[in-house]
Parts: sequence; C-alpha cells; structure tokens
Amino acid sequence: MKRNPLSITVGVLLLVIFCLLLFTFQVRQSEVGVVTTFGKPTRTISQPGPYLKWPWPIQKVYKFDQRIQNFEDDRFDEVLTADNFNLLAMVYMGWRINDPMAFFTKFANGSITEAEKALRSLIRTAKSAVIGRHPLSDLVSASEAEAKFTQIESEILQIVQSQVAANNYGIEIEFVGFKKLGLPESVTTEVFNRMQSERQVLISKFQNEGEAEAAKIKSTAERKAAELLASAEAEATRIRGLGEAEAAKSLATFQQHPELANFMFRLSALEASLKERTTLIFDQRTPPFDLLGAMQTNQLQK
Amino acid sequence: MNGAQQTNQPERQPPVPVPVTPEDAGSQALAEALRSSFGLIKFVMLGLVVAFFASGFFTVGPQERAIILRFGRPVGEGEKALLGPGLHWSFPYPIDEVRRVPITEIQTVRSTTGWYATTPEQELAGTEPPAGAGLVPGADGYVLTADQNIVHCRAVLYYRITDPIRYVFGFANAESNIVHALDNALLYTAARFNVDDIIVRDIAGFREAVRRRVEQLLAQQDLGVLVEQCDVESRPPRHVRDAFNRVLQAEVTRAKLLDEARSYENQVLSKANADAAGILNTAESDRTNLVATIAAEAERFEKLLPQYRLNPDLFKLQLLTETVGRMLASVQDKFFLPERGDGKSRELRLLLSREPVKPKTSSSTQQ
Repeated sequence: MKRNPLSITVGVLLLVIFCLLLFTFQVRQSEVGVVTTFGKPTRTISQPGPYLKWPWPIQKVYKFDQRIQNFEDDRFDEVLTADNFNLLAMVYMGWRINDPMAFFTKFANGSITEAEKALRSLIRTAKSAVIGRHPLSDLVSASEAEAKFTQIESEILQIVQSQVAANNYGIEIEFVGFKKLGLPESVTTEVFNRMQSERQVLISKFQNEGEAEAAKIKSTAERKAAELLASAEAEATRIRGLGEAEAAKSLATFQQHPELANFMFRLSALEASLKERTTLIFDQRTPPFDLLGAMQTNQLQK
Repeated sequence: MNGAQQTNQPERQPPVPVPVTPEDAGSQALAEALRSSFGLIKFVMLGLVVAFFASGFFTVGPQERAIILRFGRPVGEGEKALLGPGLHWSFPYPIDEVRRVPITEIQTVRSTTGWYATTPEQELAGTEPPAGAGLVPGADGYVLTADQNIVHCRAVLYYRITDPIRYVFGFANAESNIVHALDNALLYTAARFNVDDIIVRDIAGFREAVRRRVEQLLAQQDLGVLVEQCDVESRPPRHVRDAFNRVLQAEVTRAKLLDEARSYENQVLSKANADAAGILNTAESDRTNLVATIAAEAERFEKLLPQYRLNPDLFKLQLLTETVGRMLASVQDKFFLPERGDGKSRELRLLLSREPVKPKTSSSTQQ
C-alpha cells in the first residue's frame, strides 16, 4: 500500500492538534492565570494570549476573572456615630485580583466566594470604625463644608485596602461606597413626629405670610394710588395757574375801559348763571318787562 | 480522487480488523462494501471540515458590536477591535472567540434601594402598602435628607456604552456596578438637599445633582458609559404624606392670596392712573378754555369799545337788553309779578325743593 502525501499531511495535522491541546492553554483578555507544577504555583500569567505548559499530571492551569468584582455587604448593620446616633449603613465595593499568585495561595483554589467572605468581615469592621469617628452631620448635611460623605467613603476604602495589603490577599480594592443609610425602626417614628411638627410650622407660616403679604400689597397699592391722584391734582392746579397767568395777559386790553369791562363781565356771569333749569320772577321794573307795567290787566302766568 | 480514497482507507482507519483478502467472493463483497462506506465517511468528514470553517461566519446586528478574541487577546486595538453590523468571519472556537457588546441601544438601570417595599401589582394600581408605625430597615428603603428627614427616592438611569472593551473586560458585572453608583448618588445627593427641595421646590436641581454625582462616579470607575438621561422620583413617606399635602395646600392658598392682592393692586393702580390722567386732561382743557375765552372776550371788548365810547348809556342798555333777551330764551320758568295797585310789595312764597335732581338749579328773584 502506497502512502499518499495528503494522508501524511492530515495525520501530522491531527497529531499537531492533539499536542497543542496537551501542551498549550489560552488566557482570555478578562482573565489571569496561575500555573502549578506538581501542585506548587510556579508561574503567573497576567497578559492574555496563548501559552505553553507541560501536560496535565505535571502542570495545571488555574484561571481567574481579573475584572472588577462587585461586592455588596448584604447586612444592613447598626453602627454608632460619634455623636451617638444609631445609624444603619450598607456599603458596596469593587475589587479586583491584582496578584493571582497570592490570591491563589490565600483562598482555597482561588475561590471568589471565599475571598468575599474575608472581605465582608473586613468591610464591616472598617465601616463601624470609620462611622464611629464621625458625627451624623458629616454624612448628612446641607452645607458642603460640613459634609464629609466622600471622605468617609475613602477612609473606609483606605482601612480595607491596608488590611488587604497587610494580609497579602492579592486583591486591590477599587472603590467603596455607601449603598444604603437608614435609621432603626423606632427612630423613624420619632423622625416622622418631628417631620409632622415641622410641616405644621410651615403650614402656619405660609398662612400668616400669605395674609400679611397680601395686606401689604393691597395697602401699598392704595397708597400709591392716592399719591398718584394727589400729584395729578397738584399738577392740575399748576396747569390751571399757568392758564390764568396766560389769561392775565389779556387783562391789559380790559384796562382801557374798566367800567365797560366790569359791565361785560357781570353780563356774562349773569348769563352763565342762568343757563340751566332756571326760574325767574320779574316785577314790572325790570327791563324789558317794564313795558308790561303799562298794562293794567295782566295776570300771573303759569 | 478514487485512488486517494483507496489508499487512504488503511491510514485513516488503522484499526480495521478485516484484512483485505481477494480470494473468496464473500470477503471481496465485504471489502467492496467497506470501501464504499469509507468513501461515504470521507465525504462526511470533508463536509464536517467545511462546516467547521463555515461556523466561523457570524452576523452583527445594528445595535451591537463584536470583538474577536484570538487566543484570548482582542484582535485590533481600541476602536479597531470593534466589528460593526454585517457579516463577519472568524476562526472557530479554540482559536477565536466572538464577544458581542450592545452599544447603540440605550441601556436602563433602576435604583430602588430608596423606595418603600411595594409589589408590581400595587405599582400598577398606584396604591401603596398600608403605613405601619415606622419603616422597617431592610424592607422599606429610604434616604436621609440634609435636615435629617426621611424621603423615598428612586431613579432610572439611561446610558449608552461608549467603550465596550472596558465595559465588558473591565467589570465582572458592569450593570450592577452602575446600579450601585446610582444608589450611592441618590444617597449622596439626598444628604445634601433639604426635604422641601427634594420634593417640591428644587426637583430639577436635585435630579441634576444626582446625575452629576452618577457621572462623576462612573467616570472615576472608568466604566466606559455615557449617561443619556436620569429620572428621579421622590415622595414623602406615607406616614407624613397628609402633612406634606397640607403644606402644599397652604402654599397654594398663599399664592392665591398673593395673586388676588396683586390683581387688586393692578386694578387700583390702573384706575388711579386713569383718574390722574383725567384730572390732568381736565386741567389742560380748562386752561385752554380759560385762555381762549378771555382772549375772545378781549377781542370782543376791543371791538365794542369804540361803539361804547360813542354813547355809553345807550350801548349799555342795548347790550343788557340783548343779553337778557337771549338769556330769557333759555330760562325754563318765567314769572312776572306786576306791582300791586296800592304800591305795596307782594308777598311771594317759594317752594324750593322742586325736584330731586342736580343741585345745580338756581333761582333768583328780582330785587
């Protein structure tokens, strides 16, 4: 039987694949690896890519997720603040394996659950220690200067970080933050009572304020109106005065013969006064009714 | 091709237990059958190889990007690593691995740690669980405000992934990370606002502050996302809801009172303005009237003077008579009292309050 080059190629290819499966391994972008030789960790793989190793009984590869893990302390603990407030606090943190070798040796087979267990107790102590150093107003306050919310968070972060480093967990803490803050149930009822009375104060404040403001606006308006009218009156008087002054210029004309002027003024005054709904009673001496005096038989007219 | 097939048989199938012996017809038939079945297997294997490579084809949808990991390492750097929508090919599994990342579509996360315990049914119906004495820690969420009050807050954050490589390879669970950041932002911001600002007065400011804090946290943690929108809903605890509503009512009443006062102010002022303008106009017209009248009188005087000079008494009489005549035409009632025969004066009684009309009416008697 003759050997065909194609079959040889295929055979070699299969062999190569088989060897590759035995002697190589891949580490993904999001992973780090530890290679153990006869159970002893000997090599750390921190860059992704293909790597060589001895086959199974000799070397073994452990791969870990090196991405940032999210961890939240599921207990909503009571902690005491520096000014003796009972506060409930829950924190979360992001951590990452930064030294796979240390991580692998510290926690059985590099179990993330085991690591979180250790972190949980660390963060609980750190949390109560840090909050115990601060009054409540550091966490909760309107003034920016007083509020040390982020400072408290970073203090917790520092404590946990230094503990992790001291224990050589091979872990890096990326961030720590508060997830929840609360008060014990009995305290919440007190808070509600306080809120109720605060609301009451606000209600009466609004009521009184409203009435007072409205009254103020109204009286101001009335004052302004009166002022407007008064100044208008003053202006009117001034205008009339101007008119009179102007008219006085014509008086020179009348000076030529005051007697006639007087007579004419009286005439026009008389005429003006008798313009509307007037009743006049005459006797026979008034011209032109003196003409009637000559008649003997005239009667009263209705 | 046929030859290759034949020669291939033993190589591909070394453990074939049947030696090919062409002596008897039975074994020859068997060999024939084997040969044809090997041919079939060969064909199937070829098909498998083709299928193996064809399985490297994949499509990327319009809302996503894909990253090829070759031996675990992303192919290409940064933006170039992202494959856009369309048909792509990669080596099949052990060599390449395709990771899909949603990118253009808007992602949503919700924070409910600051909200009271509620069920979806209650949420739909818009009802709330009955209020107990206090809030049970753990079950009922809330946030503490700067004036140490309790408020319920929840938020919805809409974001887009801008750096898929960081988002997928940097975080074991980026989404829950964002939820945590949102929780923290609500907590942090509420601790900086007074309860009235959160609920009524500065809702938009509170929302913006939450958004800023989330953005700051996400940037610090370098999550590779862009915040599109952040909705925040806040409510006073149901234990004190009534009190809050009453405050609102009081505020509304106050606003109403003020509005009324302002409209009264407008009314009074515009009336005063109109009146003032009226007064001024009257004064102006009085003035022009006066001036014009006097001027006219003066002119008339000028014209009459020469005539007067000619014969003063006659002229006066004429003028008087003329005026009285004109005047009498407009007088309503005229009475003539002739002298009594004996020359004594008559007694005349006047009933003055004639009509309840304008008090302008005047009566005069002749002396």
